[in-house]
Formats: sequence, C-alpha cells, structure tokens
Amino acid sequence: MSLKNVLGVALGILSAIGGFVDIGDLVFNTQAGAVFGYQLLWVVVIGVVGIIVYSEMCGRVSAVSKRPVFDLVRERTGFGAGLATLIASSVVNLMTCAAEVGGVAICLQLLSGLPYRALIALAVVGLVVASWVLPFTWIERVFGYLGLCLLVFGVAAIKSHPGWGHVAHGFVPGSHAGGSLMVYGYFVVGLLGAAMTPYEVYFYSSGAVEDRWGLEQLKLNKVTAIIGYSLGGILSFALMIVAGALFLPAGIDPQFLGTPALAAEHVLGQVGLLLALVGILFAVGGAAIETSFSGAYNVSQFFGWRWGKKERPAAASRFTLSWLIIFALALLVVMSGYDPVKLTEYSVIFSVVTLPLTYLPILLIANDRTYMGSKVNGKLANVLGVVYFAIIIAIAVAAIPLMVLTHGGKG
Amino acid sequence: MLVLGVAVALVVAGCGSGGGKLGAKALAEQSKALQALAAEGALLAQDAGAGKTTRIFTRVHSADLHKAAAQAAASLKAAKTEPALMPKLRRLQGLAVRIRGDLERLGGAAKNQAPALGRDLQAAAQASKQIGASLE
Repeated sequence: MSLKNVLGVALGILSAIGGFVDIGDLVFNTQAGAVFGYQLLWVVVIGVVGIIVYSEMCGRVSAVSKRPVFDLVRERTGFGAGLATLIASSVVNLMTCAAEVGGVAICLQLLSGLPYRALIALAVVGLVVASWVLPFTWIERVFGYLGLCLLVFGVAAIKSHPGWGHVAHGFVPGSHAGGSLMVYGYFVVGLLGAAMTPYEVYFYSSGAVEDRWGLEQLKLNKVTAIIGYSLGGILSFALMIVAGALFLPAGIDPQFLGTPALAAEHVLGQVGLLLALVGILFAVGGAAIETSFSGAYNVSQFFGWRWGKKERPAAASRFTLSWLIIFALALLVVMSGYDPVKLTEYSVIFSVVTLPLTYLPILLIANDRTYMGSKVNGKLANVLGVVYFAIIIAIAVAAIPLMVLTHGGKG
Repeated sequence: MLVLGVAVALVVAGCGSGGGKLGAKALAEQSKALQALAAEGALLAQDAGAGKTTRIFTRVHSADLHKAAAQAAASLKAAKTEPALMPKLRRLQGLAVRIRGDLERLGGAAKNQAPALGRDLQAAAQASKQIGASLE
C-alpha cells in the first residue's frame, strides 16, 4: 500500500471516529452513565460490533454491485415491503434530523448566548449552505475532523479518576444496581439503537457508491468499518465513564445537551468546555447532514430518481429537493418548541423499531450470489449477521413497551 | 402503523407528568428531579466560582436549569397529596422555590457570588435527597 493510500485510509478512519457520535449517543451514553455508572459499557461493545458487521456488509454490497442498499432493498423485497421500509426510515430520519438540528442550535447558544429560535434558523441555513457548497468528501471530513474535539471526553474520563476496576467490570454483562430491571432494559435498547442507527448504514452505502468504490476498495471498507467504528466507540465509553464518575455520585440527571459539556468543563476548565461544545456542534451538525442526505438517498433510490451529491443540483433536482425538504421539515419540528433531547430519546427508540426493516434486506442481499458473486458473506459475517439480527428483533419488540413502562427511562 | 405507534407512545409517555394528587412514589420522583437540578446547578456554580467556565455557558445553562426548576415548582404548587404526606409536599414546595431562585440568580452572578449559590444549591440537593429517601 502506497503512502498516499495509507494517508487516505487514516483520514477516512479519523473522519469515521469524529462522525461516530451523534446526539443519540450523547444523550443515551450520558444518561446511562448517570443512572447505572459503568455497568452498561458492555452494551456499547455489542452496539459497536453490530454497526461494524452491518456497515461492512453494506459497503461490500455497494462496492460489488455498484448500487446502494436501498435500490437493492426494493428490488429484492418488492414494492410493498420496500415502501414500508421507506416510510419507516423516512419518519425516523426526519425525527433524528430535527433532533440534530436542535442540538446544533443548542450548542451555538451555549457558545454565543444568542436567542435559541434565531439560532435554529441560522443552524439550518448553515447546514444547507455547507451541504450545497462542500463536496461530499469535504462534508465527511470537515465535520468528522472537528467532531474529533469530542476526544476531550476521553481525557476528561481519565482525569475524573473513575475506579478502573469498576470500569473493567462494566464490560461484563451481569447483575445491576442503581435502577430497576426495566430501566436497565430501556437503556440497553437505547444504547444499541444509538449505536446502530439505520441512517448510518444508508449513508455509508450511498457514500460508497458516490465515491465509486469497486472491488479494490473492499479492504478499505473493512479497515474503515472496523477501526473507525471501534475507535469511535471509545468516545461512547468516555461519555459513559465521565457521567458515571461525576453525575452518578451527585445525583445529576442529564436532561440537557449542555450537561455533558459541563462534565468536560468541571474536569478540564474552559478549554475542556470549548472543545466539548465545538466537538458536539460538529458531531451533531455532521449527523444532521447525514440524516437529511440519507432520507434523500432512500427516496431517490426507491423511486429510481437520479441522485448523488456529486451530481449537479439541477441534474439531480428531485434528490436535491428531497434533502432540502427534510431540512425544512426539521426546522418546523424544532421551531414548534419540542425539546431536542426528548426528541432524541423518541427518535432512537423508534429507530430501534425499524431496525429489522433496515438490516434484514442487507443480510439477505449480502448472501445473494446474484448480486454478490463470490463476495457473499463468509461464515463469520453470517454468524454475526444472524446473531445480531436476533438481537435486533428482540430489542425492536421490547423498545416501545420499555419506553412507555419506564416513562422514557425515568422508572 | 409506525406513525400510529409513535403517536400512541408519545401520548402515553406524556401521561402522568401533570399535577393531580401525588402519592409517596410520585413525590419521591419529584424530590429526585429537584435534587438533580440543584446538584447540577451546584456543580455549575462551583465551576463558575473557580473560573472554569464561561459567562455565556453559565448564563445559558443555568437558564435551562431554572426553566426546569420553575416547571417543577409550578407542578408542586398545584399538587395535592394525602394528609400524612402534606408536610413533605410543603417542604418540597419550599425547596423548589429556593432552587428556582438560586438558579435564576446564578445566571447573572459575579464570580465571587457563585460559590455561595453553589453551597446553597448543594444544601438544597441534599435536603431533596433526604426527603426522597424518607418517601421510599
């Protein structure tokens, strides 16, 4: 591998790390840490392995077939099932995009002190301009690299001096303390949902087609998925550890997006605070763009429209209009006054319900020689794919009952 | 189907958060919520006093906490409970008003005023915790 290729892989991994965390990860990891300390770290591991397994499949499917996943979903599952998947994923995408837009506005407010509603409009305008002006690779990299400021939580986690023995114990599933079994279950579902959000795989696979991946990118796909997501998972660990070390003993319940930043501030002072806010701003900003594009990709691929960020907007007008409409609807939702953190909780839980619709077609297509030829899933990918699909079914069934019974994790 | 599920779940999840007649469990939840707000305000005030934070962050974040505390205070003010629990409800009402006031002052507090507010919020958090423990 040449130095240029190594650099390309390294840059891709860095943007994957910075782009791993979105508002769902921020909310659920911090809340889980504040309620259960380090006891749910093992769930993050399961979620990260899950997203690696299915992202690798998605990237491989796109690289081999040269077609994005949603295109194949409709072809493989038929119009009816494809339409159901499209509707479900569009609702969840919109909720997630609205939550991320609200998150951007909150971060801007915490940095500037300007009125929240004005900043919601500013956030949407800024995201639309960035989406319009920046090339695809630059969108990934600018937001991914600046999202790396979230590594401040890794430093804060170390400097908050958690009991490392307890932290290590958290990687082993077992008995729990600090909340009821149902609340524990709610956070298990939420953490898995936050790690395995459907928009990530749709965006990843469409991005692979946009970047014109072919068979020679299969190794890059594997390396980016495994290393990028694994290292990104460290950010999730850090958020949970910081919350477990600082918020749990004090009885703080993180209900605001500023609360995780407060942890970085408490441990590292103003520099920690500013890095945390900038990191959150770009992580949720990048995720807002990804969700709007993901929604536009899905609709365009389902109806067979011309699509792609690399196309001129006029040439892919319906695709362009789709992501603009998603931003406009997200703006309306957030302007209605709905709390972005609450919206995040709902969007993550409802995304869990749609997970089987997202991941089953991927598993089926990745095993179909008609599309994949000799690059079908190997034994390991199939075992993991099937095990994870069983997990996905279980959490999809449990998600809404647990949310209702625990009043959104409140017990 | 999903949209319907979302609507039903949102409605159901939103239930049970109003005023009404509170039992011991609901009062314990209210005290826990107050403790959380006061503790977070205390941490923020402590950092503000130590120069660890920015004025803007203190102002905006304390305003968020204040808004939540004001909602809790209004909810407790309208709440009713059984006679045996009335003294605890009254104490919680008083604490909610105190926490709300401290958080409001924190937004505009000078660096040298923040530590006193932090101590008061910490004491209020402790008092809320004790009430909650006595209700469980």
